[in-house]
Amino acid sequence: MSIDVIVLFLASLVGLYVAANIGANDLANAMGTSVGSRALTLKQAVLVSVIANLLGAVLAGGHVTSTISKGIIDPGLLINEPNNLMLGMFAALISAGLWVHLATYSGLPVSTTHAIVGAVVGFGILSVGPGAVSWGKIIAIATSWVVSPAAGAAIAGGIFYLIEKRIMSVRDPYTAAVHYAPALIFLVVLVLILSVIFKALKNLHPEIGHFYAVLLTIPCAALASLVGRKWVRWQVRLKCELGPNPQGHSPEECLFAQLQVLTACYVAFAHGANDVANAIGPLAAIFSVVKTKSVALQVEVPLWMLLVGGMAVGGGLFAFGTRVMETIGKNITEITPVRGFCAEFGAATTILVCSRLGLPVSTTHVLVGAVVGVGLMRGMGTLDLRILKKIGLSWIVTLPFTIVLAMVLYKLLTVVL
Amino acid sequence: MRLLLSSLFMKSPFENLQKHADKVKECAHLFKEAAVCHIGEECKKFDLLTEQVARLESEADYIKRNIRNHLPRGILMPVDKFQFFQYLREQDKVLDEVEDAMFWLSFRPRGIPDEIAADLNHLVDAVIPPIEKLSDLVALATEYFRTKSEAQREKIKSLIRDIRQYEREADHLERELKFKIFATIKDALVVFHMIRLVEIVGEIADHAQNASDRMRAMIAR
Repeated sequence: MSIDVIVLFLASLVGLYVAANIGANDLANAMGTSVGSRALTLKQAVLVSVIANLLGAVLAGGHVTSTISKGIIDPGLLINEPNNLMLGMFAALISAGLWVHLATYSGLPVSTTHAIVGAVVGFGILSVGPGAVSWGKIIAIATSWVVSPAAGAAIAGGIFYLIEKRIMSVRDPYTAAVHYAPALIFLVVLVLILSVIFKALKNLHPEIGHFYAVLLTIPCAALASLVGRKWVRWQVRLKCELGPNPQGHSPEECLFAQLQVLTACYVAFAHGANDVANAIGPLAAIFSVVKTKSVALQVEVPLWMLLVGGMAVGGGLFAFGTRVMETIGKNITEITPVRGFCAEFGAATTILVCSRLGLPVSTTHVLVGAVVGVGLMRGMGTLDLRILKKIGLSWIVTLPFTIVLAMVLYKLLTVVL
Repeated sequence: MRLLLSSLFMKSPFENLQKHADKVKECAHLFKEAAVCHIGEECKKFDLLTEQVARLESEADYIKRNIRNHLPRGILMPVDKFQFFQYLREQDKVLDEVEDAMFWLSFRPRGIPDEIAADLNHLVDAVIPPIEKLSDLVALATEYFRTKSEAQREKIKSLIRDIRQYEREADHLERELKFKIFATIKDALVVFHMIRLVEIVGEIADHAQNASDRMRAMIAR
């Protein structure tokens, strides 16, 4: 068996581990908000996460994946050294996996995305020198680490403000909620369809402009909002008016709990679209080298690889993430369906916009930003903003650690192999 | 296991505020029992009741300290933290005044003149409802800050109006009683003891009203 096949096999194992870790931690954290608000039961949350995440990975995961493998370092500089690219990506995967593993057990809220980015940078610096690293891209990514939680906070806070003013603060909030439900469904479906069109169709190389995409989406979203309105009212009648409401929600909260099912699917989809790339990106680069025995300037990520990555994330969530979701569900009872809806909508929109821009943002950190945004509108219970310091620290620590670790591992691998 | 979202949320201080309000309510009942017992006859269980009030006061103090200790800088709440602490302070002062009133009663055993015994009983009766209502107020506010429902806010405002009304009635009774003390009692020592006692009992309702005013500021839009 040749060395590159062994590397591919080992890298696949590490990649699967990183993907499973994303499912067990990042995705489980994101879906915990739905379990916390009792919008979804634990089983429903697992089912929604696995399916929507898989769809996100397969339909919309490709765009970010190509950024991870070629956006940070220019593979053209390694055109005569395909083995070095392969070993470098392998070292990057191991470094990220190791760092996330260590951080998870020491309670540091690190981002898998940042770990991968740092590790790829580390290998890039050592293999082709600091000049080969697209520092402009790194700065753009680093800016998005600050901008994306801020955007999540702004969108979630803004939506919460409007909902509080137009729905919760009026004398008959249930009627107001029913009145505005189609608009909210329209908004969520619009962004969801747009992201699918822009990203999923990008993979299929369609000849469709942005203008026509938007034109196509509006009637679809309108139709969805009409159908959704009926569905929501039927669900509310079924769950809140006719029978007992075991979650203890008021009718308007019950309505938002139904809407939150939609945003929960949306978050899991966005996770798949964005985060599967973290584990699969370097693996795709290795696969490309092994397959073509050369360095491709444009790495095509095979669909089956995205599918396997999505399944690994789902598997990780199913095997280990349920405990995380259960704990979060029990601990954060402060999240009501209204708050959960706003936070999830704000977070998912930000993730998808960033993902569209090719910026690998940390999903969990964006969600934290969105939750804080609702809190800033005095919408949350007691929030401990000291966690933001920890997140900041994790940003500062993750990059140097993974850069150095990837450099050491890359050096070791080139010496040994 | 990475529980990033979990670590973002802290236990709501309203849970402890409710416990504190319940202690205040419990104290109000004991105070009523002790006052009736002390004013009417030779009260054998007065010391026991005073001890129970002191114990409740110390438990409530512990809850208050706990609330304060667990709201450091960097905590984001649905209400202004300053107003929240102001509310807590006023609710705690209700307890302090109840304890103080118990002490003042105990300073002169069988020291309540028969002429004003019934009026003093009325005054004590008048200050109990606003204290009891504080517990309902906190329960309603907790729900309001969770749902931000206008209906809930209206209920709180109505309760605040009730408390203000109770306080006015207590104020009125307090003034009448002071007139009566000066008019009927000649012994300066007794006058001093009675006037001070009546003022302290009156202050119980004042602080309950102050607390409800702080709550009004907390729910202001």
